[in-house]
Amino acid sequence: MAQSHTFDYDLIVIGSGAGGSAAATIAARAGKRVAIIESDTFGGDSPNWSDVPTKALLHVARLYDEARHGDKFGLRVSTLGYNYPTIRAWKELAVKRTGAAGNRKFYENQGISAFNATAHFLSPNEISVNRRHLSAKNFLIATGSSWATPNVQGLTDVPFFTPRTILEAIRPPKSLFIIGGGSHGVEIAQLMATFGTKVYIAEQAARILPKQDSEVGELLEKVLTEQKGVTVLTHSRVLSVVKEGLGKKILISRGGVEKYVKADEILVAAGRAPNLDLGLENASVNYTPKGIDVNENLQTSVKHIYAAGDVLGRGSHTHSAILESRVAAHNILEKVNIVPNYVATPSLIFTTPEIAHVGLSEDDCRKRDLPIKKAVAPLNIIARSNTSDFRDGFVKLITDKKGILIGGTIVAPGAAEMIHEVGLAVKHNLTAAQLADTPHAFLSWSEAIRVAASKLI
Amino acid sequence: MNDDKTTIIIKRKGQRPTESFDKAKLHQSIVSATLSARAPEGQADRVAHAVTNYVLEWLESRPEVTSHDIRLVATRHLRSHHPDAAYLYEQHRTTL
Repeated sequence: MAQSHTFDYDLIVIGSGAGGSAAATIAARAGKRVAIIESDTFGGDSPNWSDVPTKALLHVARLYDEARHGDKFGLRVSTLGYNYPTIRAWKELAVKRTGAAGNRKFYENQGISAFNATAHFLSPNEISVNRRHLSAKNFLIATGSSWATPNVQGLTDVPFFTPRTILEAIRPPKSLFIIGGGSHGVEIAQLMATFGTKVYIAEQAARILPKQDSEVGELLEKVLTEQKGVTVLTHSRVLSVVKEGLGKKILISRGGVEKYVKADEILVAAGRAPNLDLGLENASVNYTPKGIDVNENLQTSVKHIYAAGDVLGRGSHTHSAILESRVAAHNILEKVNIVPNYVATPSLIFTTPEIAHVGLSEDDCRKRDLPIKKAVAPLNIIARSNTSDFRDGFVKLITDKKGILIGGTIVAPGAAEMIHEVGLAVKHNLTAAQLADTPHAFLSWSEAIRVAASKLI
Repeated sequence: MNDDKTTIIIKRKGQRPTESFDKAKLHQSIVSATLSARAPEGQADRVAHAVTNYVLEWLESRPEVTSHDIRLVATRHLRSHHPDAAYLYEQHRTTL
């Protein structure tokens, strides 16, 4: 009789963030022996250092900003101010309340062995954790990603913030130079500018938020420049950084012209790099600097090793990582494999106004040469913009030539909630006519969706 | 003597006895590879020093790695200092 291999665990999950947590829980509930290994804080990036704390601070910033502009409605605002240590304490409370942060006990209560250490592959079925060798039948790599440092002369010699570390700053800096005009850079720009920081934001592309449709970047640039005093430097490449006194001097090249900008602090938000330094060569797992190679079932080049979340290098949505984690768990536990369905996965930016997108963008359609119809409904044509005194925003819907919705972008207060209606329509192939035919309540921001949809009929 | 901070090196997929990380041994191997690429002695020593420090930094959070990992990490950094030496270091079993 052939001798069967015995392993310490049925599944070892490396990383306790969104990409790992769901799979560990699902496998443990199915009666499997599971271990989870976390090298940083249990819960991963999103609840500890990214989504939750940033949104908690943005919530305060929005309240402060709205109150500050309340004088036109008759509010007395002359004594309005803020106490940043208390705001930070609120952020800590928000992180604590989510329950996902530092949740080692949560795993242990479910019978999952939790290790707070670095995992390193020694062979395809064995890892080293604090010199302890653990073997498993299956592995899930969900080590996430970290902020990458761009190749800028002098940047390694001066201290700089990342979107993670700036949340721990004792107070907002007097001036801040942000390298990278993507979603994180823009969120931090608005946050810090609201608290009084003079913000410069440099982006190599022709507009900030270059991954969104052009209207989005242009509108947000207008909002940041006119309402928050942010200096937006598009077409700008950062050449070098030097320390000057207590601040920093940044050399940028803009349209072929070189110029210096002085700022107290620098924030680097120029992209994330997957965390791949875990001995993948010893396990024969194929990867590139962009991420681990997986097939549609999220299997790596080694069949019993799966990967999910940011480590795949596909993007960085917590909800996508959770979806992948569930799919990986299913494929590990069940005989029939499934594939993750990313259609109608929304992407959100929590600025004021919020930005939300689902499905294909106009740029995506143009690249694929798809015949489309599009309609844009500006917020100022619906009644709510009058009662809320807010006019900067729009709803943009895209259909194919048969009128079936294939994408949508919303820039509005509450866009993060509104987008799910469009997501539902995209996922279930609804037409613009069906969306327009659905009653939308008077004085809701969602009326703009009905208006945009009716323009497409 | 092994203190807790010394990194253990697993050799040849565990087929040979494990060893504690030996900084001098790595330094000497880098010097040999760099000299084989016809670099002057001073440069070989300087490069080996830089690479060894980089590997030491990398090992700080790793209590246990394989000899293959050391070779990969050292090669990656050596490549930025001396690409020819990095090639020889990476391929030494077949070329030297």
